[in-house]
Amino acid sequence: MNFANMRNSSFISRLWQYLLAFLLIASITVLFFVLRDVLDTTLIALLYLIPLGIITAYWGLGPGITSALITFLTFNYFFIEPYYTFTVHRAADVVVLVVFLIVAVVISQLVARAQAGLAMAMAREREATQLYELSTALTGLHDDHAVAQILARQVRAVSQGEYVEFNVIGTQPFAFHLPETNPPARAPELIVPIQAARGILGEIQLWRTAPTISSGEKRLLQTFASQGALALERAWLAQAESRAKVLEESDRLKSAILSSVSHELRTPLSTIKAAASSLRSREVGWDSPARSELIAAIDDEADHLNMLVGNLLDMSRIESGALKPKREWNILPEIVGSVLGRMKHLAEEHQIEVDVPESLPLIPVDYIQMEQVFTNLVSNSLKYAPAKTVIRIRARVENEMIHVQVSNQGPQVPREHLERIFDKFYRVTSADRVTGTGLGLSICKGIIEAHGGRIWAENVSDGLAFNFILPLTWNGTMPTQLPMDVETE
Amino acid sequence: MSNAPHILVIDDEPQILRAIRTILTEKQFRVTTASRGEEGLTLAAANEPDLVILDLGLPDMDGVEVCARLREWTQIPIIILSVRDSEREKVAALDKGADDYLTKPFGIEELLARVRVALRHSSRMQGTPSKVVNAGQITIDLAWHIVKRGNEEVKLTGREYRLLAYLASNHGRVLTHQSILAHVWGPEDADHTEYLRVYMRQLRKKLEIDPERPQYILTEPGIGYRFIADE
Repeated sequence: MNFANMRNSSFISRLWQYLLAFLLIASITVLFFVLRDVLDTTLIALLYLIPLGIITAYWGLGPGITSALITFLTFNYFFIEPYYTFTVHRAADVVVLVVFLIVAVVISQLVARAQAGLAMAMAREREATQLYELSTALTGLHDDHAVAQILARQVRAVSQGEYVEFNVIGTQPFAFHLPETNPPARAPELIVPIQAARGILGEIQLWRTAPTISSGEKRLLQTFASQGALALERAWLAQAESRAKVLEESDRLKSAILSSVSHELRTPLSTIKAAASSLRSREVGWDSPARSELIAAIDDEADHLNMLVGNLLDMSRIESGALKPKREWNILPEIVGSVLGRMKHLAEEHQIEVDVPESLPLIPVDYIQMEQVFTNLVSNSLKYAPAKTVIRIRARVENEMIHVQVSNQGPQVPREHLERIFDKFYRVTSADRVTGTGLGLSICKGIIEAHGGRIWAENVSDGLAFNFILPLTWNGTMPTQLPMDVETE
Repeated sequence: MSNAPHILVIDDEPQILRAIRTILTEKQFRVTTASRGEEGLTLAAANEPDLVILDLGLPDMDGVEVCARLREWTQIPIIILSVRDSEREKVAALDKGADDYLTKPFGIEELLARVRVALRHSSRMQGTPSKVVNAGQITIDLAWHIVKRGNEEVKLTGREYRLLAYLASNHGRVLTHQSILAHVWGPEDADHTEYLRVYMRQLRKKLEIDPERPQYILTEPGIGYRFIADE
């Protein structure tokens, strides 16, 4: 809607008000005219005041005063003798006329003033409501982008502007605008700075040609801007605080890593050092069985050390978000088989039952990372479940996901620990009783989540079960069908 | 002693160089060492070794590049040394012409086995390729296209046979997914590792004693496959 149109429409509505006022006066005059013989002149004058009050109350001072003047004339013309002239003979009628005019004008003005007061009170209330809504919406926001979004939305809703842009300056400047299009090609009609105690944080730009932005609206938008400034400062303070918390947390974590690592790394190192130095000392005979035992210890502990370092690397990669699965279509039974094959010598004291059907579809996973998950889950089970017990690995397709369960007959985990056992360095038992970095399960969690899956632990009737689910599709697709190949050589 | 195989080791870690030199000299190899890529390339050109052991993480240049520069003029076997989790670089180096890889830390047995395979393969390249490959009970006759397990002939589809034949004629060496796919299916299918997974599984079922714990067709996680034949 352009400017001329807006103006036109308000002019027309104004004209209608006058027309309606005249019609009302005219119809009442006709009524009084019919009843002229039975009604007293003074009574007519009094009765005329009613429509005048109504007109002013509904359509404002202009139509009210105009109607008062017209009524004054019609009253004189139709109802004061001699009829159909504007002359007045009787002195009493002059008094009636003058009093009528004064009363009519005064009533019009009083009613109009009361109306204006009411309108202002309503506008104030609306402003107050809008401000209240804004401050309610801004409460508890800790994100400057959300603040900008809400402020821009409220400014647009209140001002009915065609375009609103919210610019924030500072260390990380950004802009938010409504609607999601490019701004109009011209300069904004109103720019309100967002002023805070420590300087200007940004500005609100408003594009609205018509109706022209009133000073009241400007004031309201300035109030909005200062509310916005407060909310922004609050958000930034909250962010700074949470950053400080993260730093504190990572500091705590680092010392936890250091203590865990130095403890865990030193154990295999001590074994290696002891074995190597006793082999060098020549106190162990060339043919003694102790010699090969020492050599085996060095070899095993070096592998163990390598695994620990690998776990730490994995963890740091998961922490930094650098763990990106290199997905390929893989066969789950193959992965499980390869892990169990490698862990054979570790699992001699346990019985491992595998129920991973050949008919399972291919799954889109990183082969190495998936091996890592199975290795960690199985070695965790081997570590906690007593010898001669059964460890079961089971996989099924459920709800278009693959569901894998690794369960053992080891001790159950108290309910409140079930979720936390996937946290870094979290142990249910004290660290001295079991070896390991305390990272195995959190690495599993990191890998499974990087694959878009979920992992959890639950107590089962005879022990503990680890479960995870993984999507069967990759970018929404299933594996390519194999080309037919039936001929034989 | 002078016709003992000559091995060039390029690695920037002195301890690794020391350990490899000690063990290889012990095994009657001649050993030259270099701690930088450029130095290694110069020594390779000057001495024409029979085998190069190359670390991927060198201070002056990328090991993959050393590999590519060597391949510009020589076909001598190259064995890559790398740390865990650098599958991408390993595959890149293998695709650039490296013959095999070892992940640090590695056992010396493994290193010696890889060296033997690489040297045997390079000598075979010069002579006639073996016609029959034996792996445990399995006999693969590459000339007559016959595969036997014990005395029984194993029925293979055409694709399965081509796959097995490619693996067997490169036995002992690692073959990347891409190279197997390109060789057996064609270059346009080089990304379809799922074909490989399925066919390898079928092959294992037909040939291995326990397909879940294969002894002959081994998976090299993240890299490819390796066929282990009798020495």
